[in-house]
Amino acid sequence: MKIWTSEHTFNHPWETVAQAAWRKYPNPMNPAVIGTDVVDRSVVDGVLHTHRLVSSKWGLPSWVQRLIGPANICYASERSVVNPNEKFMTLKTRNLTFGKYVAVDEMVKYTPLPGDPNKTLLTQEAVVTVQGVPLNSYMEDLLTNTIMSNANKGRQAIEWVIDKLDREVTEIRNNAASARDELLTHTKKSIGGITTTARRSMDGLSTAAKNLTSSPTAPVQADIPKI
Amino acid sequence: MEACGQLKEDYDACFNVWFSQKFLKGDNNDSMCAQLLKVYKQCVEKSMKDHHIDLKDADIEILGTEKEAKVPEK
Repeated sequence: MKIWTSEHTFNHPWETVAQAAWRKYPNPMNPAVIGTDVVDRSVVDGVLHTHRLVSSKWGLPSWVQRLIGPANICYASERSVVNPNEKFMTLKTRNLTFGKYVAVDEMVKYTPLPGDPNKTLLTQEAVVTVQGVPLNSYMEDLLTNTIMSNANKGRQAIEWVIDKLDREVTEIRNNAASARDELLTHTKKSIGGITTTARRSMDGLSTAAKNLTSSPTAPVQADIPKI
Repeated sequence: MEACGQLKEDYDACFNVWFSQKFLKGDNNDSMCAQLLKVYKQCVEKSMKDHHIDLKDADIEILGTEKEAKVPEK
């Protein structure tokens, strides 16, 4: 059994990191994770409970596959809790594939950094157990190393998502601004159009009126343009 | 699940708005995306059955019990 723990501080408030955590996948840093699907989700006493199926491509070395069997896609079960009042989010993940030989239990927790509400503390723990196959301690090392490097990429991914969220907000703001400008231009154009038409009609009317007064017997040349 | 891609996208878009605009602001009513979640979940369930994935497997302790695989005898 191998136990790995780690801590990291994000320079973003907890609310931002929690939103990013839900939108973490897909990301270019962890291409191995190919899907996260909600199996169950509910709010109980103000706390959000979610059960997700995580699908990933592990790309295990062939010697490992020879020992525990091949698998194209590995599945894991992730159970999470978000408590917005106490401000914590925890995610516990356990592998489904290779469950007979391998147990990888991961625990991730996001909380505001004590003393600094503008920062978020991430605590991470993984317990790796490989049993019942030869070379099991090598495999434990291999998996622990993979988890360590993925954890690093995962932090970059959270930053990447936050950056993306910021860009989306700016884009929405810009789109709203250009939509407003466009609307103004259109309105100005339409008003301009109406004014011109109205002026032409007025001209037409006065010409007609003039014709009427100057020669009352002449047929009325009502060249009133259609609006 | 690949088969549920569009349903997931629709639901996720709704959830992300609900999570940031409602839930984190103290509104616990989750009816906003309930219908989208329902159809998406049904698709995931079916897809899991097709791929023989059983989530109950994660709740069963195998290692350290009798069910654990044993090293083959030499």
